[in-house]
Amino acid sequence: MNCLQFENALSDYLEGDSTSEQRAHLNSCSACSGLLADLSLISSEASSLREFDEPSIRIWNSLEAQLRREGLIKQPSRSLQPDFFHRWRTAWAIPVAAALLLAAGIKLYQPAKIGDNQPVAKQHIPAAPAVPVVSAEDKEIMNTVASRPPAQVAAYRNDLAQANSFIRDAQEAVQNDPNDIYSQQLLMNAYEQKQMVYRLAVDQNNEDEQ
Amino acid sequence: MTDAKRPQRNKLSEQEAIERAKQGDAGAFQFLYDLHKRRVYSLCLRMTGNTASAEDLTQEAFLQLFRKIGTFRGESAFSTWLHRMAVNVVLMQLRKKNLPVVPIDETTEGEDEGTIRKELGAADSRLAGSIDRLHLQRAVDELPPGYRTIFVLHDVEGYEHNEIAAMIGCSIGNSKSQLHKARIKLRDLLRVNRAEKAGKR
Repeated sequence: MNCLQFENALSDYLEGDSTSEQRAHLNSCSACSGLLADLSLISSEASSLREFDEPSIRIWNSLEAQLRREGLIKQPSRSLQPDFFHRWRTAWAIPVAAALLLAAGIKLYQPAKIGDNQPVAKQHIPAAPAVPVVSAEDKEIMNTVASRPPAQVAAYRNDLAQANSFIRDAQEAVQNDPNDIYSQQLLMNAYEQKQMVYRLAVDQNNEDEQ
Repeated sequence: MTDAKRPQRNKLSEQEAIERAKQGDAGAFQFLYDLHKRRVYSLCLRMTGNTASAEDLTQEAFLQLFRKIGTFRGESAFSTWLHRMAVNVVLMQLRKKNLPVVPIDETTEGEDEGTIRKELGAADSRLAGSIDRLHLQRAVDELPPGYRTIFVLHDVEGYEHNEIAAMIGCSIGNSKSQLHKARIKLRDLLRVNRAEKAGKR
């Protein structure tokens, strides 16, 4: 068998149909064994392209809108926005609510000003879970608020612990599915929540100093 | 992460999602889309070599699938059904645009054989046991459309020659010979790419 004959039968060889003549030729011809090795490699690596590309979110947006137009999605239309934005909005509600609660908490625990006839309500702040404040940034922020009334300090500690817990959960979700856009968004929101706690603490301190 | 916090869709099985999609559940449609979007989009992109066309075709393939989901009885795997539909959508599009789905032998036969003969002696420039996936993807995108179709259907998607012959309307022998030529062409492209890369160092 010569090289041309071997090559003409190469497809069958790669499909698993080999003859003793072909095997003998391969043993004696480095060019043909090189060609076979290269083509086998190309063929085996090709399957790695099967899920290689990530489609744009535009496709789902258009698809969902079309499914609704055709009545294939039968749920009442919240809007034609994709689920991504619904989830995003919901997720945003968490840090915003946390910030509002935090702000409300700070206001309630501010010392009564002179001339303020309203007594300071005796609000009960749930005890912060025994989650230690570990990071250097967390320690710094707790130092920033250390001079405030104990209830405010406890509220900050509680909010930081919640933000850290939110971040841990979101990180776990991202680790479980690194390509999941919702998990990525959740993690961004978690960091935003913590950033808000920091910002409120610093802003409140600046106000106190003025 | 607690179960309460974990996204609900992770708990769905494909079968449950199919049943819920039949009832018009938006979340179920999205679950099925998310599960298969990469495979379908990659197929469309490899076969057309064009992002905009691939996006349109991906949408069209899923739309056709979801329109017919009520008729899905589970005789074959859902993924098989979907991928076959995606292939048909792409092939139809290629035909509409008058792009060859089968390589034209007459214009390439002599050229390829010459290339193969010439390369046979160059044992020192083998692919050296590894191919960068990105380079392979680019090389596939550079293949002439007809070769690309056969290569993607066989080596990437895993269809047999008899299935490909039925899908694109050629003989099994033709499918085999064109696949061989597509692989040879890819080898050339990858070697040129590697030589260029080595030259830049």
